[in-house]
Amino acid sequence: MNALIHTTDVVILSYFLVLNTFYALLLVLAIPEIWEQTRLAEDEDFQRLMQSDALPPITILVPAYNESATIETSVTAILTLEYRNFEVVVVNDGSKDETLERMRHTFELYEVPRTYPEAIPTRPVRAVYRSRTRTRLLVVDKENGGKADSLNAAINASRFPLVIAVDADTLIEPDALLRLTRPFLLGARIAAVGGTVRVANGCTVRDGRVTDARVPRRFLPGIQVVEYLRAFLFGRLGWNRLGGSLVISGAFGLFRKDYLHAIGGYHPASVVEDLDLVVRLHRYLQERKIRYEIAFIPDPVAWTEVPESGRILSRQRERWHRGLIAAMWQYKGMLFNPRYGRVGLIAMPFFTFGEMLAPLVEVLGYVVTIVGLAYGAIDTSFALLFLLVAWGYGMLLSIWAVVLDEVSFRRYGRLGDLVRLLVYATFETFGYRQRTVWWRLKAFVNVWKRRQVWGEMVRKGFASTP
Amino acid sequence: MTSRQFLLIVAGAQGALLIALVTLIILNRWIRLRRSAKVDPRRIELDAVMLRWALGQADAEEVQRGLARLPVSVAIDALVTWSARVPGERWQELSRGLETRWWARVVRADARSARWWKRLECARFLAVAPTSHDIGRLLRLLRDRHPAVQLAAATTLERIDSPMLVAAALDQLPHLGPTVQAYYASVLKRARPAVLRHLAQLFRRLNDPRLPRIIEFAGRLDEPVLREPFTTLATHPDAEVRTQVARALGKFPHRESVAALGYLVHDEAWPVRAQAARSLGMIGDPTTVPAVREALRDPEWWVRLRAGLALTRFSTAGRNVLLEAEVGPHAEARDMAALILGLSTQALSEYAA
Repeated sequence: MNALIHTTDVVILSYFLVLNTFYALLLVLAIPEIWEQTRLAEDEDFQRLMQSDALPPITILVPAYNESATIETSVTAILTLEYRNFEVVVVNDGSKDETLERMRHTFELYEVPRTYPEAIPTRPVRAVYRSRTRTRLLVVDKENGGKADSLNAAINASRFPLVIAVDADTLIEPDALLRLTRPFLLGARIAAVGGTVRVANGCTVRDGRVTDARVPRRFLPGIQVVEYLRAFLFGRLGWNRLGGSLVISGAFGLFRKDYLHAIGGYHPASVVEDLDLVVRLHRYLQERKIRYEIAFIPDPVAWTEVPESGRILSRQRERWHRGLIAAMWQYKGMLFNPRYGRVGLIAMPFFTFGEMLAPLVEVLGYVVTIVGLAYGAIDTSFALLFLLVAWGYGMLLSIWAVVLDEVSFRRYGRLGDLVRLLVYATFETFGYRQRTVWWRLKAFVNVWKRRQVWGEMVRKGFASTP
Repeated sequence: MTSRQFLLIVAGAQGALLIALVTLIILNRWIRLRRSAKVDPRRIELDAVMLRWALGQADAEEVQRGLARLPVSVAIDALVTWSARVPGERWQELSRGLETRWWARVVRADARSARWWKRLECARFLAVAPTSHDIGRLLRLLRDRHPAVQLAAATTLERIDSPMLVAAALDQLPHLGPTVQAYYASVLKRARPAVLRHLAQLFRRLNDPRLPRIIEFAGRLDEPVLREPFTTLATHPDAEVRTQVARALGKFPHRESVAALGYLVHDEAWPVRAQAARSLGMIGDPTTVPAVREALRDPEWWVRLRAGLALTRFSTAGRNVLLEAEVGPHAEARDMAALILGLSTQALSEYAA
């Protein structure tokens, strides 16, 4: 028994050592990347670029399902973005509430015939509307088919070569589109670009714009601010230097439409459609030996409302992890496959072993430690020291993300916000982390039972925020 | 070393790193505050001087002194901001004056820096304050390996008239993405005579694989002198070249353009036919209505759409063709005509864009 516990312990210790070394590598790689991106973001003369004809036209895809609380504010804010040439395609995915009615009333919609072929098959489109007051707006009303199906319908209806998927509850900063096109100006091989998603809870929102960025006082949304900072500011930035991330947030990502057509758009059956899409995009481009870049840039920002209750957060995290498991299983052929370059040799193994299996290993670690302590196979002081180091490392990564934000874009200017961020980064490891492990474990159970639950997100809406 | 000792070392290192990170945050805030307290008033002061200088109430020397008191990056930002507001003659006077300033010399020397951000700073500076002595530096920066530096250097073409720089920019053009090409087209508009001379040479290289991109760029210039070379290229064996020619010719209402488009609307490649139908609509010559009517029966949906939209530009004659097609025997032309006739004026104008 003692030998088994010791062996398991060594395996777990080695796992964490390798994983944490990789995180440290991402962290190190994120430093020059954020330095370069900050320089480019500061140095660019956006006014000059905005006045030039060089900016590529963009279609903004907005899937909407039961979004009556936020739809008018969100669409109005999107329509007033600082960008020269764009259109907005909102897809009402058979909402059961008044989403379509509210848009019809606010934007004075009138029905027009459909003028595009169905390049990607979707659920039947009921009607297409244009607005009398907003010429850039096109609304597609279709039967319910899920977010991926809505995005495909929006891609079909789009006219421009670049498309950006934006959640209806997401608030895009006015110059975010302009910034997001920077890689297209600087590189000829860009296939997709992702921007930063930040937490809007606690912020002051006026007319669909975040006018004062604050860190929420409530623990659960507050801790998610740190999580988002960590995921975007060093996770994805670090991946830029390792051949591109597998994730471009579905809430804020710019794609070349011809590539989306080539891979058949979003998969309606996938649980986490953005991850699935990016993995397929990598696969398609690698198989055809097309030189490409999938970049993440930190300065374009979109704000999103995150769950404030544990129940809803647990469903979201369970779904995200279920999607990760499904994607890694579906595209297992890419794992360690040199044909897929760095994606097959670095990204896929990391996401499979470092992200997907992490909750299993962590729980196994807790169980083995408890059993080992009970049987006297592990020394108590050593176990506590190990826990301290493991948790300390997590804390260090979170605080590092706060530092990166602080030295680069510094969205949270107040000292109180900074202190709150540091407090959340410190206490995330105690209790919250274990809860997320539990939620992610449930994903394995649900995959085993083949459950396909999307989960619901209750939104408060931004319009009433002071 | 035992595993306990290893963990102790790691824990110690983590503790030290944590303290370092918190210190870094505090220091960063303090330095930023100090810097803005020092620099912001100087920048405000400079803006006031610049305003007086723009109104002719202050001399360039005063502006140069104000710029010298600022950190280089802030001084360049100020120059970029004001460059669009001050008339050319006065601005050139300032540019010449800056040539002798020590900080401007340092910035110019950065054209050879190993650090890309230094070269970018130099390119941004030269984009707004170049002199004829900077041609060599700008050539180097235009060919820089960092695309941001290239872009900033290309902006100089708006201010400085140099055939050498134009040739260098045009040679690079086919290797650039479409977005960057469009940007180059917008900055090269000022240097039109030199651009046209160089394009005339490039058009003669019929087997050059870069030709489609060159024509695409040339089309953006809307230059009547280019109509003739475009017309000549209508029979080029590369379909991509013909597509670009069909697109470009729509901007030149001339009988030779119409004849070339009349030929291209029957091309074997559908993108060429679609572009030709669109361009015929842009020109709106009534004699081409039969050719566009024929395109409305094309097997390719996009050609039919372009033909349908083009017909709406022929006023009554085009509308009559659509009305006939709507009840005519050809099913696909009927559907497209019904679709086009159902579009609102607003939708039509958006499609025409």
